[in-house]
Amino acid sequence: MKIMNCPLNGPRNISEFVHGGEVSQMPDPNSCSDMEWADYVFYSDNAIGIVTEWWLHAPSGYWFIAERHTASDEIIRTFDASEIFNQRYEFPIKAEEAVV
Amino acid sequence: MHTIQPESYSQRSFIYRQFSGEKSVDNTFMQVAGGVLALSTGKDSDAPGLIDLSLVPRAGFRGVNAEQYVNSMGFPVPASPNQAAMTSQGECVLRLSQKEFWLLSHPQQNVCDRVEGYALPENGCYPLYCQDSHTWFAMTGKHCPDILAKVCGVDLRAACFPPGAIAQTSVARVNAIIIHHVIGSEQVFSIMSDSASATYLWGALLDAMAEYEGQVYGLNKLIE
Amino acid sequence: MNEAVKVNYLMRLDAPMGLLINREKPVSFTFEGKTFTGFEGDSIASALLANKHWLMSRSFKYHRPRGPLTMAGQDANTLVQLGGEPNVLADRQTITSAMMVEGQNYNGTLENDRDAILGNFGRFMPVGFYYRSFFKPMGVWDKWEGFIRKKAGLGKLDLTFQPEYYDKKYLFHDVLVVGAGPAGLAAALEAADAGASVLLVEEQPILGGALTYSRFDEEGVVADKLRTDLVARVEAHSRIDVLLNATCNAWFTDNYLPIIQGKRMFKVRAKECIVASGAFEQHVVFRNNDLPGVMMSSAAMRLMKLYAIKPAEQAVVLTGNDDGYLTAIELHQQGVLVAAVIDMRERADNPELVSAVQKKGIQVKSGFTVYEALPTKGNKHIRAVDIRKIIARGEVDKASTLIECDLLCMSAGYMPSYQLLCQAGGQLKYDDDAALFSLSNLPDHLYIAGSVNGINSLDAVVADGRFAALKALQQLGLTEETALPVKCTRTLNYQWPIFSHPKGKDFVDFDEDLQAKDIINATRLGYRDVQLVKRFSTVGMGPSQGRHSALPTARLVAKATHRTVTETGVTTARPPYCPEKLAHVAGRIFDPSRQTAMHYRHLELGAKMIPAGNWQRPAFYGKPDERDQCIHAEATHVRNKVGLIDVSTLGGIDIRGPDAAEFMNRIYTFAFLKQPVGKTRYAVLTSEQGVVIDDGVACRINEEHFYVTATTGGVDRVYRDMMKWNAQWRLDIDIANVTSAFSAVNLAGPDARKVLEKLTSDIDLSCEGFPYLAYREGTVAGIPSRLLRVGFVGELGYEIHVPARFGEALWDALMEAGKSLDIKPFGVETQRLLRLEKGHIIVSQDTDGMSHPGELSLNWAVNRKKSFFIGCRSVDIVMAQKQTRKLVGFKLPVTSTKPEEGHLVLEGENISGNVTSCEFSPATNAIIGMAYAGINQSDIGFQLPIRVNNGEMVMAEVVALPFYDPDNSRQEM
Repeated sequence: MKIMNCPLNGPRNISEFVHGGEVSQMPDPNSCSDMEWADYVFYSDNAIGIVTEWWLHAPSGYWFIAERHTASDEIIRTFDASEIFNQRYEFPIKAEEAVV
Repeated sequence: MHTIQPESYSQRSFIYRQFSGEKSVDNTFMQVAGGVLALSTGKDSDAPGLIDLSLVPRAGFRGVNAEQYVNSMGFPVPASPNQAAMTSQGECVLRLSQKEFWLLSHPQQNVCDRVEGYALPENGCYPLYCQDSHTWFAMTGKHCPDILAKVCGVDLRAACFPPGAIAQTSVARVNAIIIHHVIGSEQVFSIMSDSASATYLWGALLDAMAEYEGQVYGLNKLIE
Repeated sequence: MNEAVKVNYLMRLDAPMGLLINREKPVSFTFEGKTFTGFEGDSIASALLANKHWLMSRSFKYHRPRGPLTMAGQDANTLVQLGGEPNVLADRQTITSAMMVEGQNYNGTLENDRDAILGNFGRFMPVGFYYRSFFKPMGVWDKWEGFIRKKAGLGKLDLTFQPEYYDKKYLFHDVLVVGAGPAGLAAALEAADAGASVLLVEEQPILGGALTYSRFDEEGVVADKLRTDLVARVEAHSRIDVLLNATCNAWFTDNYLPIIQGKRMFKVRAKECIVASGAFEQHVVFRNNDLPGVMMSSAAMRLMKLYAIKPAEQAVVLTGNDDGYLTAIELHQQGVLVAAVIDMRERADNPELVSAVQKKGIQVKSGFTVYEALPTKGNKHIRAVDIRKIIARGEVDKASTLIECDLLCMSAGYMPSYQLLCQAGGQLKYDDDAALFSLSNLPDHLYIAGSVNGINSLDAVVADGRFAALKALQQLGLTEETALPVKCTRTLNYQWPIFSHPKGKDFVDFDEDLQAKDIINATRLGYRDVQLVKRFSTVGMGPSQGRHSALPTARLVAKATHRTVTETGVTTARPPYCPEKLAHVAGRIFDPSRQTAMHYRHLELGAKMIPAGNWQRPAFYGKPDERDQCIHAEATHVRNKVGLIDVSTLGGIDIRGPDAAEFMNRIYTFAFLKQPVGKTRYAVLTSEQGVVIDDGVACRINEEHFYVTATTGGVDRVYRDMMKWNAQWRLDIDIANVTSAFSAVNLAGPDARKVLEKLTSDIDLSCEGFPYLAYREGTVAGIPSRLLRVGFVGELGYEIHVPARFGEALWDALMEAGKSLDIKPFGVETQRLLRLEKGHIIVSQDTDGMSHPGELSLNWAVNRKKSFFIGCRSVDIVMAQKQTRKLVGFKLPVTSTKPEEGHLVLEGENISGNVTSCEFSPATNAIIGMAYAGINQSDIGFQLPIRVNNGEMVMAEVVALPFYDPDNSRQEM
């Protein structure tokens, strides 16, 4: 069984982790085209190379990010999500939004 | 002879039935917080033991200001996540992440009483529900790492998991926190896990211990 | 037993022969009903051979008599039935007193197998016989199947068996050494001396590997001396743990290795792993090479050294390397008359060994081979060999010489036991000219040492073990010492030990009775790839998994297709290395189950429990075969009086912090910024694809605190998703999954308030003080509680959530307080009926992977004015499209056939939907249900065609939801 290094808990059996999909940028849901939105929701590149993915260490409920090579399955690096997501995210205000 | 029984109280251990009914013949109980736990099971040996601490008071705090809060109450704060520190009164402070702390009472004390005297910070510090979300068992005896190796994939031998170490992992396929620390006079491995899985886990641990003649003990094993 | 007989039975060679046996302790057992006596430490096979009994089994296809081949548990010839357990290796299983052993795969008796006649039909049963013969014409297989099944398979399963306790355990070590031969012992010592914790695993019951049975020098002193020294140091070493009789059965990523010992599977996690698994001696392919009495040289050596058994009176040694001479010397020394050493090579590497053998009066025939072994009657044993001069690769001269013998030891060379290494991605290469193997491309932290690494002279083997350990120690940071790789030029493999015979029975694969021509014919049928040859001919598929057949097969395929062995390759080695009992995998498994605090109260009340996710919940209270009556009675009771249901399994999530409302607003479809404190609101969760994936009730406890419920099966996912979203959004909140922390009940029915009033003094329970959809906190029976006025079952109802340790006491208090009002518990199935009467959906029962809010008529619960919720854009897109189906309510008279969940709704000949829920409703005295229907079928009053069991069509009337109490007056009382 593969070992993954959790930034919080250290090296653990892969069975303790849950894969959370690739880290991707959501297009602005209120201004993007249907095509852009469908691309975001349904498609992934599935290319050979290093991907950046969400992983959850289930026993501690901790989400972090891993860089993994899709061909060799080598996990190159794992790190806290705050390295990428380091500030509060605000969605652009919808044009017709009223405070509800 | 009048003896106190778990069902006389509104707070009950998640596994109190393992100590009542037919299994209660040799048991005596002692009051812990608002309920009772087994004080003695009539067994005493050097064999590995499993002890129910489910009702022993504990409090948890999470948030950016949790560390400062725990510190302000005079508790020692472990330097990094997954480490535990003991207080002079036999309490145990767990640091589960940068911003999550649990305070475990000594079985004869109530850490929650002590916490009540301190106001929570305005924000960034949220009390947790670890008294009810998690069950608390303690395993005693020198075979703990061997026994736990039958149910857990983390190396818990002393060289890798010295006193003060914490592992948040899976035990018999249930998420659990394992703590290597001292309660009273005993080196124990505390296991804190989903309270709804308590009966299952208790059984799985006793099964793993059977090879080493594991016994169910009461609190007297720890507090003499 | 009288003394004379006993002495006869137990006669063995003198010590130091017999490393494994305890001559003080005779052990008696039965084989095929006849009593045999051996010594403690004997295997079944060695004890039988000590009694001159060679016949152990019948071969798979031709039912030929078979005896031991390797004496090391590496072949299928010694598979026997041990009580209820089939396919036990007789050369591995030690004897115990009164053990009852039977042969396998015979018709009649092992001695007189009626199916042995099959051997005569060999030429009518060519390779691929079964595949090719029994599939045409159609239906013919059905006629043959019974007969063929009876002939196929080995051993008998005891279908009345009682499961025994098998389990698993982790072991953690710095270094794992697989194989305790000279390389493994040296590696373990080197690693442990440097401070590493070492696990040494050995398949045999004794440490030493080849040192325990092989002879390395003319005088025969080197092996014992080295073994004594290495083993003493290993056994005394505090940092070395040893597992004997243990098989490392696979290699998995990051040095995760299952090791099976007895009834336990160790799951070993090693930082570094050294495989010193040795090499398998290879057989020579000639006619009748499977007769009892034909065995590997190493098997004869094991018989003498491990079990003190004199294997024959007169032996012939057939060899392709110098080891054959040492075997001959050992046989001679133990009193066996060695008639000849037949060396397939033109000359030996070490002429001194040849003259040493000749000095003992043993004739040496260089450049010769055994062309055929001649059997005694019934092929029961070898009686002589026909030897011929080799004139070309695989070809012999016509002139034949017969040499009588009752034992033929053979060695064509050695094949590295590469299985674990190839599982790890290692590549096996073969030099056709030098007949040398090499393994390359191993992953980091995995090393090989000794003969598996092509290192064969003893000094070099030991040095190679140390060298592998040094590489491991460097990785562990325990040494800075470096060393040069060990070189060894000693070769042991004869290039072409295959002498096929026109009359066949020249076996390549003993397990599957495959002869040289079978492999060649497979290539002629077009199967050029060695993998295809394997699948077509079944070569290497037997219990020994190609340990002996892989190399000759590769050679034959290479020759027939004019390629090299490297080009053809060998078949893939996959886990497990050895046959693994299902018990080892399935043995003690962990199947977590969750119980609510009231679990035992339900059992005491006679609940029929059902699984709900990993929880156990009461379906209803009463006898399982009275389901309908129980549910209807419980439902009627809730409608008319008061009922209590345990809803502790409901998910619960606390959202706290300044951004709590903002977070709720982003997660759920509804608007939450302005939700009043003390109120609840229905919360629907859609996925990014716009599909409804969960729902619950959100309570606003204060400005910065929401308590939101989720479905029993969905809460873990909801919680995870919330955590993941906020890892990106970084809102100032805390998210806590409090599912297990709270026990909860729903007290429902017209008398619910009266029951609660008895237990509550700090909450105004009046309809004005605590109206429908409100949230309150207070105490119930002195227990701190969160109370929600809910309407899921459509009656006046209070959901009471309390800390889990109080759960049972809450239940007790409510049941006690409700006694005078005739309170009764009700189960999940009853609750499903009650909510169906109210037209409430259950996510994942009434929804599927396509259900968007519009289909479920949940438009009211979706706020499209706010800038975001998960799936908002997808919901916009799908709801702007023309809707094709809709979830509708339908009704049927009680006399109709009741549709079941999943039954199809038709529109003409097309399927337009399916039934999602359907029950008889006591409150409306009708069959009611919900179903997806085509959009054109969804109007009130439409007659909906539903195809029920056996193709019957029922026409259900589409009706408005809810079925019961349409103005909701009862739940708002």
